[in-house]
Amino acid sequence: MHIQELIFRLQRFWADRGCLIGQPYDLEKGAGTMNPLTFFGALGARPWNVAYVEPSRRPADGRYGENPFRLYKHLQMQVILKPSPAKVQDLYIQSLEAMGVDLRKHDLRFEEDNWEAPTLGAWGVGWQVMLDGMEISQFTYFQQVGGMDCRPVSAEITYGIERICMFLTGIDNIYDLVWGEVKTDQGVFPVSYRTVRQREEFELSAYSFEHADLDLHWKMFEAFEREGWRLLNDLGHFLSAYEQALKMSHTFNVLGARGAVSTTERPGLIKRIRDLTCACARACVAHEEQEPATLEAAKGEGVPA
Amino acid sequence: MSDTRSLLLEIHCEEIPARFLAPLCTEFADGVQAFIRDTLKADLAVERFYSPRKLAWRIQGLPAAQADQAETQVGPPRRMCVDGQDQPTQTGLKFAEKWGVGFDQVRFEQPAGKKEPCAVVTLTRTGRPTVDLLAEALPRLIASLHVPKAMRWGASEFQFVRPIRNLLCLFGAEVVPFQLDGVPTGATTWGHRLFHMDHPEPVPVSRPEAYEAELERAGIVVACPERRARLERQLTTLAAAAQGRVVADEHLLDTLAEIVECPTIVAGQFPESFLTLPKEVLVTSLAEHQKAFCVEDAAGALLPAFLTAANRPDDPEGFVKSGNEWVLRARLYDARFFFEEDRKQPLRERMDKLRHLTFHRELGSYFDKTQRIAALCEAMASALGLDGTDGRLVAQACKCDLVTLMVGEFPELQGVMGGEYLKREQAHEKVWRAVKEHYQPVSADSPIPASDLGGILAIADKLDTVAGCFAIGQAPTGSKDPLALRRAGQGIIRILFERDWNLNPMRIAALALDGIGAMATRPAAETMEALEAFFRDRVAHQLEQAGYPGPVRRAALAAGWTDLVDLKARCEALSAFADDPRFQSLAQSAKRIGNILKDEAPGAQLDPGLLQEPEEKVLAGLLGGLEADGDQDSLLNDLAELAGPLEAFFSAVMVKCDDPGLRAARIALLRRLQGAFLRVADFSLWQ
Repeated sequence: MHIQELIFRLQRFWADRGCLIGQPYDLEKGAGTMNPLTFFGALGARPWNVAYVEPSRRPADGRYGENPFRLYKHLQMQVILKPSPAKVQDLYIQSLEAMGVDLRKHDLRFEEDNWEAPTLGAWGVGWQVMLDGMEISQFTYFQQVGGMDCRPVSAEITYGIERICMFLTGIDNIYDLVWGEVKTDQGVFPVSYRTVRQREEFELSAYSFEHADLDLHWKMFEAFEREGWRLLNDLGHFLSAYEQALKMSHTFNVLGARGAVSTTERPGLIKRIRDLTCACARACVAHEEQEPATLEAAKGEGVPA
Repeated sequence: MSDTRSLLLEIHCEEIPARFLAPLCTEFADGVQAFIRDTLKADLAVERFYSPRKLAWRIQGLPAAQADQAETQVGPPRRMCVDGQDQPTQTGLKFAEKWGVGFDQVRFEQPAGKKEPCAVVTLTRTGRPTVDLLAEALPRLIASLHVPKAMRWGASEFQFVRPIRNLLCLFGAEVVPFQLDGVPTGATTWGHRLFHMDHPEPVPVSRPEAYEAELERAGIVVACPERRARLERQLTTLAAAAQGRVVADEHLLDTLAEIVECPTIVAGQFPESFLTLPKEVLVTSLAEHQKAFCVEDAAGALLPAFLTAANRPDDPEGFVKSGNEWVLRARLYDARFFFEEDRKQPLRERMDKLRHLTFHRELGSYFDKTQRIAALCEAMASALGLDGTDGRLVAQACKCDLVTLMVGEFPELQGVMGGEYLKREQAHEKVWRAVKEHYQPVSADSPIPASDLGGILAIADKLDTVAGCFAIGQAPTGSKDPLALRRAGQGIIRILFERDWNLNPMRIAALALDGIGAMATRPAAETMEALEAFFRDRVAHQLEQAGYPGPVRRAALAAGWTDLVDLKARCEALSAFADDPRFQSLAQSAKRIGNILKDEAPGAQLDPGLLQEPEEKVLAGLLGGLEADGDQDSLLNDLAELAGPLEAFFSAVMVKCDDPGLRAARIALLRRLQGAFLRVADFSLWQ
């Protein structure tokens, strides 16, 4: 199983079950949840099913491309189903079968794992899904996003693409995974994860642990915050303001990886990001309530019953 | 009861967190038992079942209907219901009509509380069918369960621990009809997911008695104790097959029994090269990350094998084994990486890094804390006749492992890793042991540090935290104790108490508070006062844990508690007298003495020559023996002997007599007696 084949299968599976297939959002972020397709999609009452792959950056997890199991940036396949369907677990299990897992031969468990994203004012309850002892997915019923109760509740499923691919192939080193094949006149060349990503892992790890300019990052954090509040307060633009919050979040993560954030400062900085994301969420909901006409299309074309 | 039936209720959910299963099951069982007692007048046992997706209960022997109940209705007075010719009036007829009876069934009686005879009818209220009562009560009982982390799902406002997907509720063969959040009850349930791959239909349950058997056919062992027993048997067998025995972990076994529906142990191996890791690291890593048991040989050395549970009956193609082995390799690879990285630098060279690790915003860094603990350790070690320098040495090393990678990954290995690294750096055994043990006791029933130095370091560390937090106004209040200070305080007292260390908790607390110095935001006197109440409560709890009877604890504690060795001896001695009736009498007398002396200023010396009555002279004669030095047992014997003479004294002598000299002598006598009592206990609290 190649990385790209796994992504194709999951996208096909969820598209066939009534999901829009979204695209990664073109800003650095720590998890697929931060993509506006999820953050704003989970708010309000409008039905919303969407699936997409999100490259997710965790500066502190960087290992210079040397650790066979950990990455600075990994791929998350993210699925949002709103409202959560009654058969959501069955749907998920079918998606495993679509990936080629024959569940008659494997051990599948849903173990408690509650999720919380303090910078997004979001939390939910759910499970880590264990296949033969390995966590292959996170499964969450969103209870709050942007500090607001989710009504209705969305189910969020997150697949760790690299891990699942390693598991399915029995390969012990991320970098030995095959991304896909390149066909040329000279023949077919499988391309490894190493070729596609290892140098990037090295440089980005080095950047977040050693070379990131601390002074600049602290200034950026402040500047993104000011910019975000200006956009939101002066213009009521919650999408562009939310982008600034995402940039704050990534800047904060880089500062954290560089060891520049003390345990005492941490909660305060997280709160500053959360204040902005939550304000964006409130503005989005207020906007939808005031201007339902702009959403007519989305409502009319909502999820098939 | 002639016609009885069984009730079965099963709530089938998506996977319920293991930690909520037993509490929810018990809470509902208690609720339904109380309901049955109230409405059906039956005291019946509730069988409980749970698995990851199921909460279920069964009650056998329920009556099919409530018993009929006679009910008396009282109406207007007789004079209004009948006229002069004993004929019914309009009022009388209306009363009969109201209750649906003929006027001939109306009697006239004088009910309690009425001044004259009134119209009375006795009605038989037919007992309602049990199934109706259950249909009303069960959904209410379920909805009122206290769910600690309740959730909503879909578009509903209903809250429960996890989404409810099916309800099975039988009374005999009959379905008890109700619904919860749109899910109706029925006579079917769902078996194991594997089972349903071949059988898409739900599983019918024919009658409550057949529940476990029918579920077992569908792949689920629904009784948790049964799953645990099966897992335990397989663990023993498979460990023996691997030439070893299981490294016991009751908590892990409980957890495994709660997270599978079809209990099967799978055995796997990991590469032998990982055995270079400390045993604790392997055991913790396997248990925490993989919910797996380690296997050890007869000498306690680990084997490269593990045992874990699967939620299926078998492992037909070895995928479960190889999958778990794969994950474990990844985990151990990480653990070894951390271990090797950590060992590149001697543990103690991390002291400087502790400067940047905040212990508490207002109480400085772990470096600061280490310095404070070192001073405390040195003082305590010297006070106990040990080498003070050793105390300083272990204190300075004890927090260095907090900045190691391994403790970053496994916080529960704090202390343990410090000890392991020091051991490998050839530190003296008493040093690495002390560091390893200094977080003990981690819970009320876990061991305290075995070594002297470990005990001292454990006390110093905890005491610094407790005194520091009190000094900045962060003492626990009510149910709020976010910094777990009560547990820390209990640990201190437990170590002192069990080790018989003669260290006054308040003296060392004062030393700890000195160390906090200018960081304190509260006046020292106020802090000491709060600490005194705090430690007194901890000591009281320790006495309770040690199993001393209530009167012994109360009376002994009130006579002083800061000398724990002495307190323990007094409690031991008092316990031997706990059932002695003379102590009841002594308690009465002690109370009287207390009441009398309450209003008296401390007065003159006792002049026995002024005493007149034989009863008081007897008491004065006993004083010498009571006040002599001796062991607690003989003192208590003397006190017990005092019960009779004291009773005689109080019945014969008026203490507050008119003669001021005599009165003063009597007061002085009582004061001496009270002093003798208080050497052991405050008997006024002996009840």
